[in-house]
Amino acid sequence: MSGVGLAHNTLVVAAGVAAVGFAAGVVGSLCVLRKRALVGDAAAHATLVGVAVAFLATGRRDLPTLLLGGLASACVGLGALVLIRRWTRTRDDAATAIVIGVGFGLGIALISGIPAWGYPDSAGLETFLLGHTAALTARDAVVLAAVAAAALAVVVAAFKESVLVAFDAAFAAASGWPVTAIDCLIVVLVATMVVVGLPAVGAVLVTALVVIPPVAARFWTDRASTMLALAGAIGLVSALVGVAVSASRPGLATGPLVVLAAAAWFVVSFLAAPGRGWIARRREAAAAGRSWDEGLVIDACLRLTGGGASAHADAEATGAFTEEGAIAAAAGDRADGRAAAARAWSAVVVAGLVEPAAAGRWRLSTAGRATAAARRQRVEAWLRLFAEDPDAARGLATVDLTGASGLSSAIRS
Amino acid sequence: MPLAEMLVDGDSAGAFSAHGAIHAWAMATAAVVAAACGLVGTLLVVRRLSLLGDAIGHAVLPGIAVAVLFGGRPGGPLVILGAAAAALVTVWLTQAIRAAGGPAEDAGAGVVFTTLFALGVVIVALAPAGTHLDAGCVLHGDLAFLPFDTVPVAGVEIPRACLAGVVTLVVLAAAAAATWRLQAFVAFDPAAARAAGLPVAAATAGLLGATAVATVASFDAVGAVLAVALLVVPAAAAELLTRRLHRMAILAMLLGALGGCVGYLAAWRWNTSAAGMIAVVLGLEYLAAALLAPDDGWISRGVSRLRLGWRVACEDRLAAAWRSEEAGVPSLPSAGGVTRRAADGWLRLRGRLTSAGGRWRLTPTGRREAEMIVRSHRLWETWLGRHADLPADHLHPPAEWVEHHLGAAMRRRLEAETVGHTSDPHGRGIPPEA
Repeated sequence: MSGVGLAHNTLVVAAGVAAVGFAAGVVGSLCVLRKRALVGDAAAHATLVGVAVAFLATGRRDLPTLLLGGLASACVGLGALVLIRRWTRTRDDAATAIVIGVGFGLGIALISGIPAWGYPDSAGLETFLLGHTAALTARDAVVLAAVAAAALAVVVAAFKESVLVAFDAAFAAASGWPVTAIDCLIVVLVATMVVVGLPAVGAVLVTALVVIPPVAARFWTDRASTMLALAGAIGLVSALVGVAVSASRPGLATGPLVVLAAAAWFVVSFLAAPGRGWIARRREAAAAGRSWDEGLVIDACLRLTGGGASAHADAEATGAFTEEGAIAAAAGDRADGRAAAARAWSAVVVAGLVEPAAAGRWRLSTAGRATAAARRQRVEAWLRLFAEDPDAARGLATVDLTGASGLSSAIRS
Repeated sequence: MPLAEMLVDGDSAGAFSAHGAIHAWAMATAAVVAAACGLVGTLLVVRRLSLLGDAIGHAVLPGIAVAVLFGGRPGGPLVILGAAAAALVTVWLTQAIRAAGGPAEDAGAGVVFTTLFALGVVIVALAPAGTHLDAGCVLHGDLAFLPFDTVPVAGVEIPRACLAGVVTLVVLAAAAAATWRLQAFVAFDPAAARAAGLPVAAATAGLLGATAVATVASFDAVGAVLAVALLVVPAAAAELLTRRLHRMAILAMLLGALGGCVGYLAAWRWNTSAAGMIAVVLGLEYLAAALLAPDDGWISRGVSRLRLGWRVACEDRLAAAWRSEEAGVPSLPSAGGVTRRAADGWLRLRGRLTSAGGRWRLTPTGRREAEMIVRSHRLWETWLGRHADLPADHLHPPAEWVEHHLGAAMRRRLEAETVGHTSDPHGRGIPPEA
């Protein structure tokens, strides 16, 4: 085979594996949203048995045949899972672990035994453990891509129903949708994706292909359609990176590299995604804290002014206070209060909520008085709510009392 | 696996006994690590942490790989430290992802353990040659090789992995014995344990650390992926066999050890991976427990359901004959249906019914038993009618079931609570107690 042919083969294989990565991300999103992330793991560990049995039955390493066997045994494994759940006292988590452990053990026993049982053409079955794309032919890749495309078509056709079940199965059931059938469809799709992911990623790690991209995508969006597309894209890129790196280092299995590429996407999403990401959350929390501190300062100013009942506003308008007094009153007896209150004071000055009075003293501006009064009203309303329904009050705390625009929204309301 | 071929040149018992000591050591190693895993797995299973056991089994790999790169010996303290650190990182990362508003817990665990395992595989693949680790050993251990890496103890060469397994088992058993009441309390009611001021978090951390240690001990024998089989399967089987936690732990250890020995022998017989066959044998043990468990097995539940159905059928025929007598027809026509006909035959055999011209009559014994069934039925209807405020046409169906389950003591209490009623709500008399 010429060098051009080799390169062509590599490209076709990469494209096929990328298609599998895309479809696995999309299908996995449904599974993750349904909170059944580890169903794929049970299916994946059960595939080896079918691969080995298919080889023993046909004596040939024909990829589609082996994968059909894998799909059959994945379904048997999931069936065993359902049987254990329904007919024994064993709980769900242990049932999943039993299917994973015993299914994989039987697969290992068969694959390790096959060479010793006198099958000459048996080398290479162990590549299904950790994945190896180097051995794939262009024809294999086309088969994989075709199955991936078919799975994608099913997801597109059943998009509304499957997303509805994934988000709220109880509502879907109450609305008359066939939840069990749709659940079965999702599980079969996941088993299919696990099986076509097998040659590239291997039985041990292929569950990552249906779990990591959706989990990473979830950080970026609240829309199901966007999440599915994004998960697909992450799966695609991860698969390409894995194939490329393992092609450049022959000793490395493809599966772990695909998983590490996907994990890198996850880390980036976990840290940097706007809104849900760790950095954004830290920023938001810090802003909320600053806003709260500003509220404390403005409330301290109101107290120093001598109350806050609006009937006496004219008389209190003359009340003035020093910067030091306001900061000390706002800090109270909090250990770290002084520095935070001093920072908040500067922000309050910049916002024009206090204005200079005579001789180094300050007083609340008109806007400041309105803000302080509104804030006090809101805090008192919140405390009343807290006395009645603490959980609801906690849920509202960050929104109503401290949110980044807490003070200005307080003025408006 | 060249050693396996060396051991089994010729598929004969002679080859086995020629290497008897080696096989014995391998089996002993498998048995002790399986017992250690069974002990830890008991607590994982009752605390519904089985999948965390799976996650830790995968995730210890990078810890072990890095420790080996830094000169740790398999089963040595450095490796145990590395594995325990990796296990704690797994749990911490999973919690951190969930706390940060990430996905549901199992998805977070799925992300963390696959990533760590992939990392471990890449480290192993990139490690310089001769570092005691390869991908095959990671996936399914190499039990057959273990007896050759020995350390002298009191003049006897003991395989290092076996020694490590024994030490692990002893340490874990001592720790379990010392903290058993705490672990049991936390397992069955963590909220109450916390309210009682017990160190629940420490108990959980201790359990996870023990999981990591047991996984490390079994790593050489069965590899990282199959540790979950040793942890969960014997414990789940034991759970079906008993409802006492300490019995479950002992049974799990015994089932694990048995699976280790039988699995090793099966692997030798069929010339394949010992770890795989151990997992298969453990799976068969679970299947046997699910089928044969004395109270919860499929077979015993099926048998008791059949026995109940048979008793109900017989009693219904007796009661029907009695009601027929009550209505002035002293004999009962033969019934259709296989079960009823069989019940009639059985009742005749036991002297409850006699056959008279193709119809059935009660014998005195049969009449006495039938009276008690009808008495139960009508007492129950009366009691319901008086206490449960049900319409009259709703009284019969529950009584039709309950009549088969009321003993003499219960009938006396019902009678005491329905004083003044000599007939049921439908106006028919209640037969007196025998």
